[in-house]
Amino acid sequence: MNTWFKSGKPYIWLTAGAVSVSLIAVLGLLALIAWRGLSFFWPAAIHEVEVQANDGSKRVIIGEIYDREEVSLERLQESGVALDGYQEDTLERLLFKVGNREFVSLDFMWVMEPQIIRNETPSDLAVIERSKDGNFYGYVVDVIENGQSVATAESIRTVLFERIERAVALNEQAADLQQGEIGAINYELNRLRLERRALELEGQLTAAEEQRIAAAEEAQRAAYQELEQQLFAYRDQASRDSVVMRDMRGEEVTIPMYRVLDATFPNDMGWFAKVAHFFTQIGKFITEDPREANTEGGVFPAIFGTVFMVLLMSVIVTPFGVIAAVYLHEYAGKNAITRLIRIAVINLAGVPSIVYGVFGLGFFVYMVGGSLDQIFYPEALPSPTFGTPGVMWSAITLAILTLPVVIVSTEEGLSRIPSTLREGSLALGATKAETLWRIILPMASPAIMTGLILAVARAAGEVAPLMLVGVVKSAPMLPVDGNFPYFHLDRKFMHLGFHIYDVGFQSPNVEAARPLVYATSFLLVTVIVGLNLTAISVRNHLREKYRSLEH
Amino acid sequence: MISVTPTNTQAGSLDLANLSAADTALEIQNLNLHYGEAQALYDISMKIPKNRVTAFIGPSGCGKSTLLRCINRMNDLVEICKVSGEIRLHEQNIYAKNVDVAALRRQVGMVFQRPNPFPKSIYENVVYGMRLQGVNDRRRLDEVVERSLKGAALWDEVKDRLNESAFGLSGGQQQRLVIARAIAIEPEVLLLDEPTSALDPISTLTIEELITELKEQFTVVIVTHNMQQAARVSDQTAFMYMGKLIEYADTNTLFTTPQKKQTEDYITGRYG
Repeated sequence: MNTWFKSGKPYIWLTAGAVSVSLIAVLGLLALIAWRGLSFFWPAAIHEVEVQANDGSKRVIIGEIYDREEVSLERLQESGVALDGYQEDTLERLLFKVGNREFVSLDFMWVMEPQIIRNETPSDLAVIERSKDGNFYGYVVDVIENGQSVATAESIRTVLFERIERAVALNEQAADLQQGEIGAINYELNRLRLERRALELEGQLTAAEEQRIAAAEEAQRAAYQELEQQLFAYRDQASRDSVVMRDMRGEEVTIPMYRVLDATFPNDMGWFAKVAHFFTQIGKFITEDPREANTEGGVFPAIFGTVFMVLLMSVIVTPFGVIAAVYLHEYAGKNAITRLIRIAVINLAGVPSIVYGVFGLGFFVYMVGGSLDQIFYPEALPSPTFGTPGVMWSAITLAILTLPVVIVSTEEGLSRIPSTLREGSLALGATKAETLWRIILPMASPAIMTGLILAVARAAGEVAPLMLVGVVKSAPMLPVDGNFPYFHLDRKFMHLGFHIYDVGFQSPNVEAARPLVYATSFLLVTVIVGLNLTAISVRNHLREKYRSLEH
Repeated sequence: MISVTPTNTQAGSLDLANLSAADTALEIQNLNLHYGEAQALYDISMKIPKNRVTAFIGPSGCGKSTLLRCINRMNDLVEICKVSGEIRLHEQNIYAKNVDVAALRRQVGMVFQRPNPFPKSIYENVVYGMRLQGVNDRRRLDEVVERSLKGAALWDEVKDRLNESAFGLSGGQQQRLVIARAIAIEPEVLLLDEPTSALDPISTLTIEELITELKEQFTVVIVTHNMQQAARVSDQTAFMYMGKLIEYADTNTLFTTPQKKQTEDYITGRYG
């Protein structure tokens, strides 16, 4: 035993154990959120179950089995559920997602497992994904065009899919029109309004100017009228069809086709169809806008906002951090003050992020933004342009938050460069600045990238400060669009981290939002890992290029 | 006892004490150097003749490298280093206030103990100094690269891979590349700080042959801890000990009939 200790083996076990625990923790976390998040997109079977209550009354429930749990009898009795004749300590109960939100009080229902007297998965059961009120579960009875039935029992699915495709295409055209051309007109009208106001403030609103602006506005309005007609036409066309469904109450419900996004018959799907559906759903989740107070639909604006904000932050933090590190390492005297500054910089990294948020709100948004508005955007006042939280202030706030990381790793990189290379450059008649620019900074670039990687990793996951300086639950417009000047840094934006919080804790329908929380978390991790991998591959490329001498 | 026989007899002997201005490349006068409180060089005065190889020898820590680095003001990089006295290049004291250090270093090139190529291609390493001076004309740079690499006896080995990384070269090749880089900007004086101490014997021999060729164009000052090397390549040798210049004479004279006891002890291997 003693020799075993002396051999050093226990330390190998100890250290390897620590590594394993960390590895298991990370992989376990990833596996859990991946499983919980991704299984949401897998088409679940729809059950039709008949439930007999204790008093003998029966009813039918149609829906997905969402969750199951063991509950103790005692607890059930305490909560007022009458259960006679059960001897076991615990009972299994199932949570059904029954959808049809407008017809049932709750779209989730608990059912006692022993009360189920019939449980089937008929292949005719359909789930209709709708743009409003969530999913609808039931049997497809008929497809109607202008009040006339257009489907027979054999052709009903084909007809249904055709009509859905048509309605979805029309909806898309309408949405494109609304966000594209109509959006551009609104933007232009707003610009004209501000132009008039600006001239007015300067006292230069002559009759000619007024006339010019009015004419331009009139032209825009005329164009708007035309587009509006087109939009209404699309909507009229889209509302031509509807689908008749029979729900679990046995009643027939007519759903207008323009509300229908997709219809699936999961009980009738083969494995390949399910896989295809799975990936389609993931694709939709990534590319679509959220609906129904973020509890349905996709998260595209949040992905875009997160990536855009992080890139903007990188663009701000890198030059600042590098310049500061160069001064500290190359030019500042090696004395107590420099050491003090360095300690202060390192300690900045330890300041809680919400404090940066408060600082960002007080300093950037209100002071700097407010002053910018006074100077450059007086025509828009009292509604603020930059004097309100926005993506630029978020990026700057996070840049300050991550500045220490970049400074510290850049400095480390600078100090690792062999002094012989500096001397070699200086001996050829280079000044210190030339040496820095031509030799030192390129060679320090892998270290700068390391700093940036750490900064991105920290910034992309940061939520608390953003809630104060620019993130919103739902942003009507992306910070980048087709209207000049294309980048609208004053706009508010959506963020995956905040989206998780919002969906998980601020949602009106927590049960429905839970899988979205996992899916969004998984996506956030994927986005951060993706950003990091990009940065790491750039760094490795640089390392290879500037591989320093063996010493 | 190591027997050291000077083999370099190409250059005739000079009267080092009374060197004419035309023959003098550098004149060091009453040079003192302190690192903080500690004095590293004591009152050094010597004249270094043009187009000849001058070697500084002496035991480790004797100040020979420090003295060499004074000649192109490399010691400026050390904050606590204080220099008094004069070093004159073209009758101009290089420690005067109005001296442009970068311009001085273009006139006085330096090669270091370890090869220090930049993380760039062979070509870019050689033209680094030219680019610093704003020369970007491709034809002129090509000429400089060929001339410098030939001058450093490296052209034949690398002419087909000028655009490859300099790190792919062997240690000896890297050191010749660094010499090519230094001579590309056509300095007057070339300082070599133990240029072969990190190299194998064959590379050392190549560099030594190169040094003999270089003196036709440049004034070469070499620091070496290897007495045989000093004897082989240099025309005159300065022996330093504890920061003082003990003896400075023709290499032949110094190695065969040293005037000072300390010199004799050192070259016969009693210490160092």
